[in-house]
Amino acid sequence: MASARQLAAIALVAAAVPAIAQAPPPVTFTDAEVRRILSLGPWPPPPVVDPSNRVSGKAEAIAFGTRLFADPRLSTNGAIACTTCHQPGRAFTDGLPRAQGLARVDRNTPTVNDVGGQRWYGWDGAHDNLWAQSLRPLVDPREMGDGVAHVAAAVRTHGDLRERYVAVFGRPPPADDEVVAVDVAKALAAYQEVLATPRTPFDDFRDALARGDAAAMARYPQAAQRGLKTFVGAGNCTACHLGPRFTNGEFHDIGIPFFVEPGRVDPGRHAGIRRLGASRHTLTGPFNDDPVRAPGTSTRHVSLEHRNYGEFKVPGLRNVARTAPYMHNGSLATLRDVVRHYSDLPEDRLHADGERILKPLGLDRYGIDDLVAFLETLSAPLPRP
Amino acid sequence: MNPRTLALLCSLAAASPAAAADLPIFDAHVHYSHDAWEITPPPEAIAILRKAGLRRALVSSSGDAGTQRLVALAPDLVVPSLRPYRTRGELSTWVRDDTVVAFLEERLRNARYAAIGEFHLYGADADLPVPRRMVALAKQHKAVLHAHSDVDALERIYRQDPDARILWAHSGFDRPDMVRDMLRKHRNLWCDLAFRSEHGGGGKVPAEWRALFTEFPDRFMVGTDTFTPERWHYVVEHANWSRAWLADLPPALGERIAWRNGDALFAFWKPAAAQ
Repeated sequence: MASARQLAAIALVAAAVPAIAQAPPPVTFTDAEVRRILSLGPWPPPPVVDPSNRVSGKAEAIAFGTRLFADPRLSTNGAIACTTCHQPGRAFTDGLPRAQGLARVDRNTPTVNDVGGQRWYGWDGAHDNLWAQSLRPLVDPREMGDGVAHVAAAVRTHGDLRERYVAVFGRPPPADDEVVAVDVAKALAAYQEVLATPRTPFDDFRDALARGDAAAMARYPQAAQRGLKTFVGAGNCTACHLGPRFTNGEFHDIGIPFFVEPGRVDPGRHAGIRRLGASRHTLTGPFNDDPVRAPGTSTRHVSLEHRNYGEFKVPGLRNVARTAPYMHNGSLATLRDVVRHYSDLPEDRLHADGERILKPLGLDRYGIDDLVAFLETLSAPLPRP
Repeated sequence: MNPRTLALLCSLAAASPAAAADLPIFDAHVHYSHDAWEITPPPEAIAILRKAGLRRALVSSSGDAGTQRLVALAPDLVVPSLRPYRTRGELSTWVRDDTVVAFLEERLRNARYAAIGEFHLYGADADLPVPRRMVALAKQHKAVLHAHSDVDALERIYRQDPDARILWAHSGFDRPDMVRDMLRKHRNLWCDLAFRSEHGGGGKVPAEWRALFTEFPDRFMVGTDTFTPERWHYVVEHANWSRAWLADLPPALGERIAWRNGDALFAFWKPAAAQ
């Protein structure tokens, strides 16, 4: 952070002296910072195929999932589809602080872009695979339904759905409602696995850095470079927002209050681990199509700890400028609010030994501008109308 | 009493848990700070402690008014401890804040405390003037020191007052072998297990912790650590979680850690009504 402030200060001084001094100083990165920047790519990653989902990567399943995702007949009132909250035109979010399905939900709608290949799903990580996560809103009374029966009935009774189901799964919908509903969820997962964010200005900079192309690097805005330096340097943001997806896929308490309403708390990861342990729809359960079942290791070994109470998943940051509002409860309206939160981090809300890596960034207004500028380059420019 | 408080109290009364009757708990690590009492008023807070089946709770708050409100409502339940913090944000600044001394002296003149803490104190900071004065005040008022500290700071406190009685918050987050060394060295050291999970995850006590508890059956106690307002809604669950792993120990040992050790350490403390 000190570096970014110094840079900003230099830029201010430069503005007050003759024109020859007005060019901002170039941003330089240490070797460690360069390594961290390079680790944030390349993008896009290879396509994901989920071995626990037998229709993952299959074109017919992706097409079926695409239709199901927008089909309100999967909801009990026939009016709510996955796209009600995961709106394609809003980067698969809804713009609301907390989702609104059949009722108001406790949490913010996360994007489903880049959702394939993760270890845990949901703000609380209650699921260890994408098809189980896809089933959850279908059977949640606050979101789309009240169990697996209505999902199975929709597939059995609507000819177009039944026909596509047979084409994808090679048999008519069986009598077991749960089997049908999980299959529907697997088709939905197959679709979501292919939802990838496009390359961004940051990716162009990162790749130019990798090949030593100074001319291409220079096209990346100076403010974004300063923000990037904070992100990978003094800000230590890559402690959690790491890798090409900008997330470690784990859970942390970052000082965001987690009361849902007076007298009611969202326990986050703590409840998620309990739900994971009680679920049949895990990589260790009977619906995993992978005969090897190797991916279930994390699920078998996850342990419930006191620190999990109030932890929520670290979201990826790709397309982050398109997914406001932010945090598990949508309590921060803008990227600037998010950066301010980390800048002024309420340390007294963090356990002294629970989240040692978190320290207030202490950014001034220029530092905040720079970090926001960097985060905005993690989204591809919107297409011209 | 507002409707929400009334509803909570009714629900807590109606749902008196069976588990609470099984094994009382002395919760040695409860905070009730300014933002907690704004959200969970004292009657609700006391109702939560009773629902959890707590026999007593060592309560400290930032600022002290939270503790005083709970003591006034439930002197039989609340064992008051004085934090050197007026707000929770003073956690890392108090050691160099001279006004803390006046605050502690004023509070100790006007109220009775069984302990001073929980405070955060590490390494050489323990020899700064403010912590030194705090240790002296604890000696003067016969109060236990509830220290969230590393080994270095504990040793410095013991050099200042070899007879100090220290409750080591979180057992220092140290490994069992380090905790053992300290317990062997200092007979006036007790440990709380707050915000640690490794000694009882899944209701099972690992061998190294079992050995430690067995060697020092009279030195450990449990604690929730309600360091944010939300965590008051974790007190009941934490008590039940504690009962689960305590049941993995011989009954007499489990009972000691559950409440007898806390009762013994604070045996000198008598509620105001009983004085």
